[in-house]
Amino acid sequence: MAKRLFVTPYRCTDCKNCEVACSFVHTKDPRHPALTRVRAYTLKNEVKSVVLCLQCEEAACQMVCPTGALERNPETGAIERTDKCILCKMCTVACPFGNIHFDEQYEEIVKCDTCGGDPACAKVCPTGALVWADEPIPDHKVEEQVEVKPLPWAMTMPAK
Amino acid sequence: MSETKTVRITIDGRSIDAPVGQTVLEAARQHNIDIPSLCYHPGVEAFGACRLCVVEIRKHNWTPDWKQLVTSCLFPVEEGLIVETRSPEVMENRKVVLDLQLARVPNSDVIRQLAAEYGIHDTSYEKREDADDCIMCGLCVRVCDAIGAHAISTLSRGPEKYVDVPNKDACIGCLACALTCPTNAIEYIEEGNMRTIWDKTFEVVLDPVNKKPIATPEQIAHFSKQSGLPEDYFTKSDATRKKETAASFARVMFD
Repeated sequence: MAKRLFVTPYRCTDCKNCEVACSFVHTKDPRHPALTRVRAYTLKNEVKSVVLCLQCEEAACQMVCPTGALERNPETGAIERTDKCILCKMCTVACPFGNIHFDEQYEEIVKCDTCGGDPACAKVCPTGALVWADEPIPDHKVEEQVEVKPLPWAMTMPAK
Repeated sequence: MSETKTVRITIDGRSIDAPVGQTVLEAARQHNIDIPSLCYHPGVEAFGACRLCVVEIRKHNWTPDWKQLVTSCLFPVEEGLIVETRSPEVMENRKVVLDLQLARVPNSDVIRQLAAEYGIHDTSYEKREDADDCIMCGLCVRVCDAIGAHAISTLSRGPEKYVDVPNKDACIGCLACALTCPTNAIEYIEEGNMRTIWDKTFEVVLDPVNKKPIATPEQIAHFSKQSGLPEDYFTKSDATRKKETAASFARVMFD
């Protein structure tokens, strides 16, 4: 079984390291965290969660795409946007989870491609809310298995 | 498992294995060899309209002084093909093309910039009067056909040829033509919930939460029919949906 991204919402502190890492990896421009594919949220009653593409088996984005521009990478299992995209933007509306976006600055469709099998968001997640692994990490093993690395471009680090 | 058959071609002295059925342009771009183009888009059928992607080819069984200029976006790869993307003839040809384009669309920044890269700063031909930015490459026509709306068409012939929407009912207002146009020649206006393109005004469906425009009702009906997804898939924006997903993630975990 290939590695997958595991999301554990209650470990998320909404520190937004994943957003910065994602937008930086994909655009090489650290000043635009809004261009991220992964989003951390603080919801009502202070509940926090992180959301990213679920790489659906029967994906609405793929079904609606008129040119077949969204192709599944057989190695990583991720659906990737190829350059066949003609910018009709219907995938952004069709996705029932809101995980595919139109980037107005670069005029392109952006979605999670799991960074080609090495997702940056999971690498910088300090709490184990996002984990790139074969199986989810149980709570009592988070401290020993999740490595906290300070980001070269991060301004703050959440307290441990 | 059947292996894709490949052929060996040479582009600018580099030996490349390209799958059968690929065009010279696709093979070159896959190996980061730059060939300029305007009308080519990987998502739609190639057209060979802009003539900017011309390359010089020779075949292994031709006598050494034989060569031919072809549009690389249409020319399929074959065993032993030798391609030159920047030979003097190719460069001369591209210069003439850009010179002519500059006469047609003297106000287009894209063409002006591209021409300047080839050392052309002003056209040597007579400039077109009241020029818009359309270079007649037909990409909008092909994009509209790919979407399945078939609204845009080239009309008339020769120097009178122009692009328009003959049947306004067919246009679904998706803006794909405007966003893929290489010279940004297709104008559209988006104001609040009104969207105007090709002289047709649409009332755009707004997101129920953040009031941002999603799509036109025609667009939703068309894509819903084409994809088989029910229309209630197309009622909210990505931002709203993502927040809802976060809430449902949290609900699953905390309840």
